[in-house]
Amino acid sequence: MRRGWQLALMLVMLAATATGMAQTLRAPVRIAAAADLQPVLPPILQAFEAETGVHAVATYESSAALTAQILNGAGFDLFLSADMSYPARVIAAGMGATTEPVAYAHGVLVLWTRRDSRWPQPTMALLRDPALKRLAIADPDRAPYGRAAMAAIKGMGLTAALQAKLVTAANIAQAAQFAETGNADAGLISRTAAVTPALSAAGDFVVVPQGLYPVIEQGAVVLAHSAERVEAERFLDFLRSPEMQAQLERSGLMAVRSTTPHGAS
Amino acid sequence: MDWQALLLTLKLALVTTAILLAVAVPFAAWVRLSGSRVRGLAQAIAALPLVLPPTVLGYYLLVLLGTRTAVGRAIAAVLGHPLAFSFAGLVVGSAVYSLPFAVQPLVTGFGAVDEAMVDAARLLGAGWLRVVGEILLPLAKRSVVTAALLSFLHTVGEFGVVLMLGGDIPGATRTLSIVLFDQVQDFNDRAANETSLLLLGLSLTALLVLYARPATGKATGKAAQHD
Repeated sequence: MRRGWQLALMLVMLAATATGMAQTLRAPVRIAAAADLQPVLPPILQAFEAETGVHAVATYESSAALTAQILNGAGFDLFLSADMSYPARVIAAGMGATTEPVAYAHGVLVLWTRRDSRWPQPTMALLRDPALKRLAIADPDRAPYGRAAMAAIKGMGLTAALQAKLVTAANIAQAAQFAETGNADAGLISRTAAVTPALSAAGDFVVVPQGLYPVIEQGAVVLAHSAERVEAERFLDFLRSPEMQAQLERSGLMAVRSTTPHGAS
Repeated sequence: MDWQALLLTLKLALVTTAILLAVAVPFAAWVRLSGSRVRGLAQAIAALPLVLPPTVLGYYLLVLLGTRTAVGRAIAAVLGHPLAFSFAGLVVGSAVYSLPFAVQPLVTGFGAVDEAMVDAARLLGAGWLRVVGEILLPLAKRSVVTAALLSFLHTVGEFGVVLMLGGDIPGATRTLSIVLFDQVQDFNDRAANETSLLLLGLSLTALLVLYARPATGKATGKAAQHD
């Protein structure tokens, strides 16, 4: 009886492995994607597969971490960064298929709080509130949204006041976790995270005024060593198509071809 | 070299090791001495941190310690702030993360102590405290050292939990492994190499202390240790 169970378990595992192998045999397009895209990309990958039959998989990390992986030979086909500087660095290292990164979206920074916090309807003024003890941001030295958050803090003249209150997450998805779990009182996070079902249910956000931080221009580069270069380029075109740009806007980003790319929301 | 991070890391590892020994010795003694039927279950639970990816473990701790849970709210009410993003928070995370490394050697070591000696001591009226203090601990000394060293080293090398629970605050939660991660991300290979070498040197020295000692065989009364 016991042996029967073991056999069954082994068969299940074998089947699972075989299914996995069958998928890898189709050589998916491998995408290195900035962490703010984690809630954004899955439906787009599905739409792409539905339209082209090409399977694409994404790995999410901070743009800096992905760049380090790519420069050290990680086998990605396409890099979707949260800014232009990291893809530019990949290109400078001779690893880009193009000479310039291609902008595919603009990021939006928001201030998010939990509904059961002291500030259920956040305003920028809460950053001046002494009752604010901990503010989550992404790593300002390595994550573009973190850089934007620091710029906004500086723009409000709050650098000194907030320095000791900042808790730094490795990437923007984690900054959202810090705030969502109530460990930080508030978070300067991406709108892509703020509009996800989990965060919409738990709290609310206010868009950080555009003038406070430099535009977060999110850039992409197809990698020169890619074996799936054609498909990777096809995905990037797909991502920049009007339909997908509209999808990006619904997910909290801004379309690159929009006439008022940075109007107030 | 980030000396502040090095000091913080050593402090975290020391505090964690002390706490783990205080928890794991009674636990291992209970496993050895009690006839409880839930020993197996307890041991299995104590080994679980081995299985969970550290970042997942860190995330669960983040949720548990945050204001979403009653536990987290109670802690925040007492401290005035949530436990995450503080040294104390890292100690909690590290203790959970390194627990199996303290428990396993001790359970094995106590288990190898001669049944007859334990029985004799108990027949002569020794209580649990005396059995642990005068039989188990002295005879399983090597296991105690192993448990302490492995807990210490595992905490020094801890990354995922600290990443999830730390918030990268210099002097409070920025440990050496986080510094190393940042240096790698900054393409600062030279600094990263220095930090790695330091970590490796430190660990190798400690492991040599552990493994270069003459093998004393089973932890019985006859295996006297001359060092």
